[in-house]
Amino acid sequence: MAQLIMTVDDSASMREMVRATLQSAGYEVIEAIDGQEALEYARENTCDLVIADVNMPRMDGITLVSELRALPHYRLTPLLLLTTESSQEKKLEGKRAGATGWIVKPFNPERLLATMARVL
Amino acid sequence: MSSHKRHAAADRDRDRDRDRGSDGELGPHGAVPPTLPHFAHITRYWDRVHRRFAAKLLPGEYYVTTAGEQIVTVLGSCVSACVRDRRLGIGGMNHFMLPLAASKGASSWGTAVSAATRYGSEAMERLINDILKLGGRRESLEFKLVGGGKVLAGIAIDIGVRNIEFVRKYVADEGFSVAGQDLGDIYPRKVHYSPDTGKLRVQKLTAVRNKTLFERERHYLEVLDSETVGNDIELF
Repeated sequence: MAQLIMTVDDSASMREMVRATLQSAGYEVIEAIDGQEALEYARENTCDLVIADVNMPRMDGITLVSELRALPHYRLTPLLLLTTESSQEKKLEGKRAGATGWIVKPFNPERLLATMARVL
Repeated sequence: MSSHKRHAAADRDRDRDRDRGSDGELGPHGAVPPTLPHFAHITRYWDRVHRRFAAKLLPGEYYVTTAGEQIVTVLGSCVSACVRDRRLGIGGMNHFMLPLAASKGASSWGTAVSAATRYGSEAMERLINDILKLGGRRESLEFKLVGGGKVLAGIAIDIGVRNIEFVRKYVADEGFSVAGQDLGDIYPRKVHYSPDTGKLRVQKLTAVRNKTLFERERHYLEVLDSETVGNDIELF
């Protein structure tokens, strides 16, 4: 069965790009428009990996990572942040929250898939 | 005083003279309004004609202001999105074009994920995100689009049109509407945008006088095409 990946971004264009990339590699994809929606889905469902933006309304990606890590069924799930932010301070916040990795936009599809394959 | 210091002092005097408004008012040179740290490299100056601070954008740059500054740039085939929160009167402008080589045939990833689209989306997203971070709300964002002239001779495809198509599609896909636009045609444009009022002033320039502009855009395009889009990945 195909692995299920959740992409979380408030930008429809970005969700579309991530979805197209992941589907081309055979993954199943579910989309959420912000951290809040992603968390609500995650409370009831498991995913194999989550790719989340950082700056989003309602709930940002770093808060989402902390909240997911507090859920027993997301303790070990790879959580990648995909963002325009590239500062060391932000990265450190992401790392402390429990993120698995940090990818700066614009992303390279080949490298995104290779990174996912390493952590899945 | 060493000769070096004397020269520096003379330069300062000259700068002060240049910044003095026509009515003798001293432009607050060196006291530009505070801005976000990642805009420290943006050229800002006292515009004595409009009697306000202005930020001048080069290709590939963007700027966001909360201090009533004007944003100025010169566009050939590049496009600028002028975006503001109309409720707060804060906003900014970007100045970009899509890379050329990487978009040829859009690769195996399809048009949705071509390097060109990813680069353009990032240019739009950085601008929008900064406005949201400064308190803007998506539902009160106002978009004006400008540029994309067919000005570069010697390039087979009309890169202005590609830039226009991209920026229009991006704004529509994100669910925003366009409040004003001045796109296409064959002229370079000098653009003044005031995020506090939303006013966008466009001067069409005669092409022959703008060699610097063409050189700048060509250089920007070359740099874009030589860069691999997206390589910054860190696993913790």
